Amino acid sequence: MKRFGERRALDGVDVRLEDGECLAVLGPNGAGKSTLLRTLATLLRPDAGTLAIAGHPCPKEAGTVRGLLGYLGHDPLVYLDLTARQNLELYADLYGVPAASERIDAVLREVGLLARSYDAVREFSRGMAQRLGLARLMLHRPSLLLLDEPHAGLDAAGRRLLDAMLEEARGARGVVLVTHEVERAVAQATRVMVLRAGRTVLDEPTAGLDPAALRARYERLVA
Amino acid sequence: MKPRAARQLRALVLKDLRLELRTRQTLLAMALFALAVMLIFEFAVGSRTDDLTPFAGGVLWATLALTAVLAVGRTWVPEREQRVLDGLLVAPVPRLALLVSRIIAIACYMAVVELLAVPLALLLFVESPHLGDVGWVVLVCLLADLGIGVVGALLASMAVFTRARDLLLPVLFLPSLLPVVIAAAGATHAVTAGSNDLSEYRGYCTFLAVYAVIFGLVAYATYEFVFDD
Repeated sequence: MKRFGERRALDGVDVRLEDGECLAVLGPNGAGKSTLLRTLATLLRPDAGTLAIAGHPCPKEAGTVRGLLGYLGHDPLVYLDLTARQNLELYADLYGVPAASERIDAVLREVGLLARSYDAVREFSRGMAQRLGLARLMLHRPSLLLLDEPHAGLDAAGRRLLDAMLEEARGARGVVLVTHEVERAVAQATRVMVLRAGRTVLDEPTAGLDPAALRARYERLVA
Repeated sequence: MKPRAARQLRALVLKDLRLELRTRQTLLAMALFALAVMLIFEFAVGSRTDDLTPFAGGVLWATLALTAVLAVGRTWVPEREQRVLDGLLVAPVPRLALLVSRIIAIACYMAVVELLAVPLALLLFVESPHLGDVGWVVLVCLLADLGIGVVGALLASMAVFTRARDLLLPVLFLPSLLPVVIAAAGATHAVTAGSNDLSEYRGYCTFLAVYAVIFGLVAYATYEFVFDD
């Protein structure tokens, strides 16, 4: 449970994610999706209940947990006044990435920014900065990806790149994907959860789910 | 310190230096501000007395305390404005490393400004300045910068999560610096006023070191709560 003042932003939400599972979290604005993700990312401390990731209880072992997480929120979380490479060098040092220079080249190539690696991020478009955010996300090979509407701000090529990353993560990494797109949730996730006013109103596997039927149910649930 | 923590701390400090080298916002503003305050003191006090030597230490440290407000006020600003704070908080970085990197950054900014302010104060306010005086004042600067860095980093890190941070920070920070200003001004006066009273100088320097240690312990005891939630 997580409160902000008198308001319960999360109330009785139970999330259990197995290795390689992708959970899509749907819900209207203010339903608690981002609060859930920020709590899983150890950025918020639950007021009641327990949180453990890969067997490590939080906040007691938050330091260990953070090394396993890849978090991408609405912002790419990079310094605009540093170059793309300087940003990734910083994060490589913070995460203790071995052979950092080679790894930075690899992720920059993967997101199509190798040629712009010495440019300040301030000179990038929003989509390019978001792609650098993806490079930052994958730099330390996280075990659990926490993604808050990651497709926002990406152009078509960026969306394809992110989809390919999610496809690659399937079965190998845990993913929690916050999205407003029901069809994407069914296509990319193995389980879907719907939140309303901080409570879980639906939690089902996506196997066999019809996107149109889910959309109809979703609209009834959040109405 | 573990090798990984040392690598993280080095990266955080390097990042601050790179940001400052690229934008030059903080240091330039601090240097111009220190220059302006000293000239104001010179015109306000200098026209009423022939010998400003007794005021030199006080003017220097009043100027540096006011200038420190700018350095502390800029702490966490790139992270806030460029929305990077979550990136640092979600990384497996000990919160202590985040705080220590802020202390180092503030102390470095102060040291650079003192390179300008100390010679200027000696020239403007000390009747017959000696080059040897600068060496004594450098030690005062190092000790005072440590205290300013610790208090400034702690308060700035507390204020970064509050709404009224721009108002709150100077109101909390300046009174906390009063002991530093008194001791640093006293130590500077002891070695620039011509008497070279080294026992008085040692006493003030010890006070500055104790101040830094006490606030360092306060910071160590509270840093986890500062960054929590």
